[in-house]
Amino acid sequence: MSDDDALWWARLRSGGPRPVSPDSAYPAGVRRLVEPDAGAVWLVPDLPDGARPDVLDELGLPGAHVDQRGDTARVLAACLRCCWTEPSGPVWPGVGAQLDDVATAFRSITDNRDERALHAALLGAVRRLAGSGWLIFDEDQRVVRLGPRVAMWNAAELSSLRELWRSMPR
Amino acid sequence: MRVTGGTEPTLDQLAGDAAVVRLYRQVFAVLARESGAMIADSGMLDVDEAILDAFADAGREGLTLDQAVAACRPLDARLVTRRFEVLREYGAISKVVDRPNERFHRAAFAPYVMLLFLRRMAEQGGQAELHQLLTLEHVNVQEPDATAEVGRTSVSRLSRIFRHLGNELAILAAGSTAETLGDHAQLLWGNKSLITQAEHVHAVVIERWPQLHGECATLRLALAAYGDAVETAAGRLIEQAGTTRALGLLPVETWVSFARGSDADTLAGVLDGFVFDAPAPWFSPHQLTEAVESGRQTGGARQPPPRPEAGAAPPPETTVAPADDADHLRDLAERLLGDTTSVPVTEVLDDSGDWPAARRVLADLTALHHHPDLPYELVWSDGLRIDVTASPSWTSHGSLVRVADAEAEK
Repeated sequence: MSDDDALWWARLRSGGPRPVSPDSAYPAGVRRLVEPDAGAVWLVPDLPDGARPDVLDELGLPGAHVDQRGDTARVLAACLRCCWTEPSGPVWPGVGAQLDDVATAFRSITDNRDERALHAALLGAVRRLAGSGWLIFDEDQRVVRLGPRVAMWNAAELSSLRELWRSMPR
Repeated sequence: MRVTGGTEPTLDQLAGDAAVVRLYRQVFAVLARESGAMIADSGMLDVDEAILDAFADAGREGLTLDQAVAACRPLDARLVTRRFEVLREYGAISKVVDRPNERFHRAAFAPYVMLLFLRRMAEQGGQAELHQLLTLEHVNVQEPDATAEVGRTSVSRLSRIFRHLGNELAILAAGSTAETLGDHAQLLWGNKSLITQAEHVHAVVIERWPQLHGECATLRLALAAYGDAVETAAGRLIEQAGTTRALGLLPVETWVSFARGSDADTLAGVLDGFVFDAPAPWFSPHQLTEAVESGRQTGGARQPPPRPEAGAAPPPETTVAPADDADHLRDLAERLLGDTTSVPVTEVLDDSGDWPAARRVLADLTALHHHPDLPYELVWSDGLRIDVTASPSWTSHGSLVRVADAEAEK
């Protein structure tokens, strides 16, 4: 691995997935996720099985802390239900979904909280997920897309996510 | 059994002792088994050393057994005697003059040197000795007056050494647990410079005596086998460490003392070259599914809170009598019996007309018979009425009887 590659890897792993222009060079061992409009390319490290974030679970170590983990996971599931229109195919890039649609899907898998609490939970979770690259959130258009981090789920994980997708109401 | 007494030994000392004994046992196992005296702990080794020390101090007269025991006074006399016998049996101690009643003994220097070597090898894994041996061989084969025979023995000796090393390591790597491997392997492997040194010897020999190419090929094979064994053993240990993330390759004390005795820069230096992932949360499909399931559960079947039962409790339901057709049956029986106490079944059936109706009557009669509260019963007798033209073509003789009357008649 050249020094350049090593630097790229260090940047990718310490900073998370990042967009580059489509014609830029990229290091070995990363996956390129092309934006639907081909305007940018996300570089996602292609990690071997023993080095993925879920290793923490195997070791019984706590991962990064998430506020309201349950709600955040539910919002991600709702976004997955709305944005992954072709679950037989790859999860990236998916399509954009209106925040209202996501809210509907979210409401169907949560307890009957009142509208305001639901909206606060939804918006907080969407922003948290957008911050860590799980979602891309356009605040002005109120459109949610799946982020580049979803491409790090491997084939086995995607198949269990398909099960989840089918079990969720639209 | 610790004959030296004193303070409680630390873990490190015990480990050191164990290593000494292990090597000593390997070397002397054959001799000791024959003489019936295996070295069982490092205390025995201390006894041997004390005896040999006593001989060194004794001077040219030598020592009798009693003098040796006296010189080793803090040690147990019986133990010293036994080890003295053992040493004499395998020739480390012999009589000054070989005659039946000779009491004075002398010690050979070789066993003592052996003992020193053993201690050193146990501490350093024998690698220093191996290096020295290799250097010696190198010097030997470079001697101007060395013959091909010297080169041959030297090369075959080295081949055998590396075969031994490689075999032991390969067997350990293939068959033993990772812990055993970790315990033993540190004595065996190492270091590329062993192989390099052996290759130097090999280069000298093959250049000076080309006719020894066969022996040299054997040496090359042995070196390659040793290299492979090292690779295999290292691979297994690393694999083990990789799957369990075990820090057990070094003893715990080493980690602890490293952590305690290092300054901040050294500790930070451990992580040089490591890059940590951005602290982003990770959502496994399992977590997502679990979250969705739990969300549904709290949303779906929400139980109403338990209501207080004060005052508003509904009145208990009135007891409902079990449905019973006793009245109907009683009417039927009274109608059939009329004033009489008994009426033949055949007659009742004939009166009822066709067979379906007769069957219903018969069912009612049976119910009458079995009803616990009604005083009627069916009494069957042996007779049989046969009439091929009738609908029930045969009918048993029997009669419906009012029980109370029947008892009264008796």
